[in-house]
Amino acid sequence: MSTSLARTIKNVYKSGIKRAAWQIAFLNDTKPGGTLVGTDDHGNKYYETDAPEIHLRTRWVEYNATFLSIDISAAEPGWHYWLGYGTNVSPNNLPEDQKAVRAYPMPEKHKINLTGTRGAYVPYNTAKPKHEAWTPIVSERS
Amino acid sequence: MFSSINRRAVGLARRPNMALIAAGASRTISSKDLTPKTMPTDFPLMSQKAASAPVDYALTSLDTIANWARKSSFWPVTFGLACCAVEMMHVSTPRYDQDRLGIIFRASPRQSDIMIVAGTVTNKMAPALRQVYDQMPEPRWVISMGSCANGGGYYHYSYSVVRGCDRIIPVDVYVPGCPPTAEALMYGVFQLQKKMMKTSITRLWYRS
Repeated sequence: MSTSLARTIKNVYKSGIKRAAWQIAFLNDTKPGGTLVGTDDHGNKYYETDAPEIHLRTRWVEYNATFLSIDISAAEPGWHYWLGYGTNVSPNNLPEDQKAVRAYPMPEKHKINLTGTRGAYVPYNTAKPKHEAWTPIVSERS
Repeated sequence: MFSSINRRAVGLARRPNMALIAAGASRTISSKDLTPKTMPTDFPLMSQKAASAPVDYALTSLDTIANWARKSSFWPVTFGLACCAVEMMHVSTPRYDQDRLGIIFRASPRQSDIMIVAGTVTNKMAPALRQVYDQMPEPRWVISMGSCANGGGYYHYSYSVVRGCDRIIPVDVYVPGCPPTAEALMYGVFQLQKKMMKTSITRLWYRS
């Protein structure tokens, strides 16, 4: 049951026209309603469904972003792990003793990948070069 | 090497705030000195210019349509050279399902827009790689997939391997990994699609 007309109609009925249109634009697919599992620091919403879907296509994210700025790096790492079926326990349902405790304060929002923008990471070398560039000099013929 | 360092030192000494520091006193160069500053010769990039005239808005929309069409019919020529190609094949299988993104692998470079260099480029393969790239019609893009294609990777010190396919062809997106997962390649595809959306085709023609 990947894509069929009946499934699409059923999904549009379940999600509503506006959300189904959003899903077609952003996810290239309609999704069967689903239950909201949680929201991450960037406001992305994570859904899961019990409906008979293709294996490993039952979890998805609805981005809190515009059409041209969606990026999976906006998904929080824990949620990304959950989306990829690394765990069945979503980060907001983690038991207290399994939550990571950091020695330093975490930022309010995690950093997204800024590649291709002016905030992109640019590496630079601080090490002394190991080799000296060779300038070819032609010695005069005698 | 040393001449460039000396020039930097002379440049720093000429600055007025350096005159206050006694000669011979050791001073570490702070990161502020190394940060590039705006210079009078700088002028804004095309991407930094805001649209002002009605023509600008019209051309921006035209560019968006053209770019959207290009990024939505993403036809790569498969240049599978090694194990990375197996991960590239995974992208076309139902789990990652590249067809839903409009990605169709083409067997001929003349029908494709993008080249995915997946694997070790050997010296023997290098002329073929360049020829396939030359046969692709404009506009064309290149994704370098995996450590070997990025910079030689494991075979960097081999006598028979090109140390990165960017020595032969211009690369748009480098996907790291050995091999990168199918997800990583897809993320590289999305990054390239973002780059495609930033192309100013008609605007460059109009403003120049």
